[in-house]
Amino acid sequence: MPAVQDAVIELREVSKCYPGTVPVTVLRAASLLVNRGETVALVGPSGSGKSTLLNLLGTLDTPDSGSVWIGGRDVTRLDAKDLARVRNRDVGFIFQSHHLLPQCSVLENVLLPTLADHGHPPAAAQERARRLLDRVGLGPRLGHLPGQLSGGERQRVAVVRALIQSPQVVLADEPTGALDRANADALGRLLVELNREEGLALVVVTHSLELARQMSRIVELKDGALLPA
Amino acid sequence: MTLPELVWRSFRFRLQSHLGTLAGVIAAGAILVGALAVGDSVRESLKLKARERTGPVSLALLGGDRFFRSGLLEGPDTAPLLQLLGTANRQDGEARVNQVQVLGVDPGFWTFWGGSTHKGVPTRGHVALSAALAEALRAKVDDELILRITKPSALSRDAVVTPRDDQSVALRLKVSGILTPTEGDFSLTSGSQPPMNAWVDLGQLAEVVGLPGLANVLLRTATVSDPIADEAAATQALAQAWTLADGGLNLGAIPKALPSNTVELATRRIFLEPPIVQATERVEIPARRIPILTYLVNGLRHGDRLTPYSMVTAAGAPYTPTDLQDDEIVVNDWLARDLRVKAGDPVEMTYYRVDAGSRLTEHTQTFRVRQVVPLEGVHADRTLMPEFPGLAKAESTRDWDAGFELVHTIRDEDEAYWKQWRGTPKAFVSLRTGQRLWANRFGDLTAVRWIPNDGVATPTVVEALTRDLNQRLLKPGDVGLVWRSIGGAAQRGATSGQDFGGLFIGFSFFLIVSALLLTAMLFRFALDHRGSEIGILVALGWRIRRVQGLIFLEGVVLSAIGAGIGAAVGIAYARGILWGLSTLWRDAVAGAGLGFHLTWPTLAAGVGLSTAITAATLGGMLRALGRRSPRELLQLGGVEDAVVSRTLPRWIRWGAWTSLLVAVGLTAVAWSRRTVEPQQFFGAGALWLITALLGVRITLARLLPAETASRPQAIRSLRGLALRSLALRPARSIGTISLLASATFLIIGVAAHRLDAGREAGLRSSGTGGFALWGETTLPLLQDLNTAKGREFHGLESEPGVSVVPFRVRDGDEASCLNLNRAQRPRILGVDPALLAQRQAFTFTRVDTSLGVTHGWLALDPRGAPGTTNPGVPEIPAIGDANSLQWALHLGIGDTLEMSDERGRPVRLRIVGAVANSILQGSLIVSEADFTRLYPGESGHRVLLIDAPNGGTNLIPTWSRALQDVGLELTPTVRRLDRFNAVQNTYLNTFQMLGGLGLLLGTVGLGVVVARNIQERSGELALMQAVGFPSRSIGSWLALEHGILLLGGIGIGTATAAVAVWPSLTQPGSGLPVTSLAVTLGAVLASGCVCTAMAVGLALRRRLIEGLKEL
Repeated sequence: MPAVQDAVIELREVSKCYPGTVPVTVLRAASLLVNRGETVALVGPSGSGKSTLLNLLGTLDTPDSGSVWIGGRDVTRLDAKDLARVRNRDVGFIFQSHHLLPQCSVLENVLLPTLADHGHPPAAAQERARRLLDRVGLGPRLGHLPGQLSGGERQRVAVVRALIQSPQVVLADEPTGALDRANADALGRLLVELNREEGLALVVVTHSLELARQMSRIVELKDGALLPA
Repeated sequence: MTLPELVWRSFRFRLQSHLGTLAGVIAAGAILVGALAVGDSVRESLKLKARERTGPVSLALLGGDRFFRSGLLEGPDTAPLLQLLGTANRQDGEARVNQVQVLGVDPGFWTFWGGSTHKGVPTRGHVALSAALAEALRAKVDDELILRITKPSALSRDAVVTPRDDQSVALRLKVSGILTPTEGDFSLTSGSQPPMNAWVDLGQLAEVVGLPGLANVLLRTATVSDPIADEAAATQALAQAWTLADGGLNLGAIPKALPSNTVELATRRIFLEPPIVQATERVEIPARRIPILTYLVNGLRHGDRLTPYSMVTAAGAPYTPTDLQDDEIVVNDWLARDLRVKAGDPVEMTYYRVDAGSRLTEHTQTFRVRQVVPLEGVHADRTLMPEFPGLAKAESTRDWDAGFELVHTIRDEDEAYWKQWRGTPKAFVSLRTGQRLWANRFGDLTAVRWIPNDGVATPTVVEALTRDLNQRLLKPGDVGLVWRSIGGAAQRGATSGQDFGGLFIGFSFFLIVSALLLTAMLFRFALDHRGSEIGILVALGWRIRRVQGLIFLEGVVLSAIGAGIGAAVGIAYARGILWGLSTLWRDAVAGAGLGFHLTWPTLAAGVGLSTAITAATLGGMLRALGRRSPRELLQLGGVEDAVVSRTLPRWIRWGAWTSLLVAVGLTAVAWSRRTVEPQQFFGAGALWLITALLGVRITLARLLPAETASRPQAIRSLRGLALRSLALRPARSIGTISLLASATFLIIGVAAHRLDAGREAGLRSSGTGGFALWGETTLPLLQDLNTAKGREFHGLESEPGVSVVPFRVRDGDEASCLNLNRAQRPRILGVDPALLAQRQAFTFTRVDTSLGVTHGWLALDPRGAPGTTNPGVPEIPAIGDANSLQWALHLGIGDTLEMSDERGRPVRLRIVGAVANSILQGSLIVSEADFTRLYPGESGHRVLLIDAPNGGTNLIPTWSRALQDVGLELTPTVRRLDRFNAVQNTYLNTFQMLGGLGLLLGTVGLGVVVARNIQERSGELALMQAVGFPSRSIGSWLALEHGILLLGGIGIGTATAAVAVWPSLTQPGSGLPVTSLAVTLGAVLASGCVCTAMAVGLALRRRLIEGLKEL
């Protein structure tokens, strides 16, 4: 039962603790709701649990307590197969180190999620990939391998890969962390534009105030709790 | 900190990551040192055995069937021996051993042999046994045994007028002792099996066989260290000591001859050998020389009147008129009366000749009576008849033992003539006619006579003749008395035999390569880990060469430590192999006992070699590192930044095409010859393998996307993604495929060479030649078992479908894989080639094509042989088993082997054909005609190939019983072939085990690659999960990727081996053991799958979040 009609992704009273000789609690009954088309910047000091939060949102990790809702479903109750489907269709990821498969070309890296969904990339997906890559200025470099691209170009490929399945939400973890100022600014602008064009929600974990300011809402994670900044 | 300190610290710091590399180095070192140690051990063991069997003997005078005074040379450095073949039987009949070497020695022998005071030294009535014979007879001290011994005959038993049924004598003896190998294993021929020796008293043995005071072997120990000087001294001593009597010659006046002052040179061997006759032609004495040939003819006929069995002499004057024509005959008046002939009447003479075998064929010649002479004077000389054994001492014609059936009735008048005139010739023909009719391989004269000139005393002539012949014109070698090197030859045979070290290194080659590939792969992984370190050093201004040197030094330290540990492991490995060769794989060395021996130079070579090759391997990798830019070095290990290109170095394509062309060529040659020699197999196979691996490399490059494509196509499936991943790390993929392919190739190659004697054994083309039984006799078989008479002689009944191909035998070294020594003088067999050719027996792997013969066996026909290249040394065509030629004799088609004939004259055996994998292993085969020319003294046949229905099983008991006096031992040909095959098959077991180890390394390599890939790609896997790939899909993807490596390796190994071994599968007895191969390869496939599945499972169980942290 979805909590809010327009909500794309929601955390409800989520707690997460890493066990060890000295257990570390990174989230304490944290809640967050992101609506369709909304852009959220998640900020906080290093080690505050931003990436943990993002991973929980993206179903890459499971909370100790509380629930995570994506597209109106409590994903904490889903099995591995359904979780994989959620990640494939409803969520797009952008990582700091972009991580492209070195053996695959730009086009192939973008189409990777469609391979998981269909076993082979549908023609429509291929067309969409070409269009999006064109849109981000990589049209002439479809056949290039990651080793032949600059850092900014690789990150743009990662962005397009995150969008290829038309997800409800894109989760970006320090997407500009490895880029220079100019590239970082350009990527920030691109993310916002794409958010607008594609109508999807965007959650960005960042240390960059410039990037955070381009989001519609900024949330700070402090002592395991989410606070409006 | 100094540079060495930096090296040592780096080494210590990275010891853990070096452990894998170290393990590979240890494996390579262990295999190398182990193989070399096996070689040392076999060589030293053989040398020890050679010393045991030859003792202090440096030279031997081998008389064979020639007997000389046992005191020919006396002194502490010589020892006479009477060596005869025999059979040994337990008195209770419970055990019998054929091919026993009966050795008559006098008490002084034991001092010569080694100062033994063994209480078992035989005296009269006693026999001492070698340990092997005692074991075979289950005999102990004081047991009684019956030795049946060959009775030597002065004249070959093949000759006309030789008794054929008194060829053995029996001795009942008590066992006085059982000798240790050092004491009792004397043998002049090399073989891996311990000799069956029965030592008896020389005097007793010589008396029993009718040769008192004689011996046929003289052993000599070296008196000087230089073998050439020693042989020269021995030759000089012999030349001074020998007499004509030692050569079996009798020279002296014959008072009973007419004229009474006649001096005659005759021989115990009846026929004077050509060198002796030639020497008599050069004698310069005041006497007239008269060559004589007296022969026993079957009949002299005129019309319906027949005079049976008469001596006829061929000679010049005064026995015949000087102008006697070839078709004229002089008869004495007794014969003229008996036949009622007079001058001018025709007389028909029938006589026997011996063909190339021992068959007597009757011939007829018609003469015209020239003259009838009275039975008086020179025509009444009974001494013209030589001392034919079986006739000379017969009181009556009824006592004759002529060696052939007397078909004509001997009348009273014949008996009366014999009693009065004995062997006085009844007729005379010219010498030329006599030699044309009766000359044979033993000679063409029975005596040379001299009638002193008037006024010359007979003793003067005898003295002059003796002096001339003994000291000037004849050498001991002319009568077959030649020293033969024994000790040196035995040591040469032991040291120049099969190089087991090389053999094991050869067959371990793939294993060593596998270990090196694994080492290189692990070292590369270690290097990848050190990317940042290398990058830092380069960034800090170190020259890349210096960094390379630093890491290389570490590699050398690693190699040296690994080689040292490897040497210790190798010694254990060699001991294990030797233990295997003495137990499980006993057949491979024909039961030869092998001890462990390792010399320091070998150990040093093994350690040095393994250090060098592993260091070179690591150096090669570092060189490749030097070609990278500093940026690439800094990013070493980060695959995402790797510059992946479809463009390949040009040499890869060139190499692929070149190796393909050469492989096709080699394979075509092998296919056209329908045979594969091991070098060819490995050569062609290795090239196919290289071609395939280079092909894989090219294919991998093609799998990468073409960046220039205007509209690039995306990967369409997980399979495509798996292939692309393989293409990303081509060295790793090729390395794993190479490991698996090499080991698979070796295993299939080895299995394809496995032989099965039973396969198609009934076919003439098989290794049995289609014969059912192989028979060997101790004493020569003189009757033709293909004839009713021959079978009747031995009490055998005619059986349908039974026929025999007999072989003559000249004993020598066993030239088969059953003898680890290199055969110096192989055993020679003589056969009528037509008997084998008409049966189309055996398959020839190669025949000298220049001979243009229709069947391989016909290449033995002397008429077909090429002309001799050296006019002084005749060349005899010979055929051998391909395995024996290659491994035991190291000979190929067209090669020649230096041998000597019976009289010690050099001859060359020219190899004209090779028979595939047959029961003929161990000997060289020449035509019977050549054999009897080379070894006229070797009478009868001692090896039989027997055709018989139902595998000859019914024949074995009846024939063995009927022919037990000649010591017949029958073996089913399949069993004999099995014994030879067992050697090869056992080696193959050993090498299959080595191949298995290689495959194990391959599988370990695959496991390491899988683990490494998955470890390196945990971030990638996490990403795959993050973008929605279910775990199962990722598992399938990884399994597919590594399954391609596994299947690719096994598939390439299988396919290339199949092409390379196909021709050998067409050889007799060959066949692929499909089931065991399928099981082996299936096990590899299964272990590879398990390995992959475990690594994938472990990777997928990892928390996703941990993988993401590595992004």
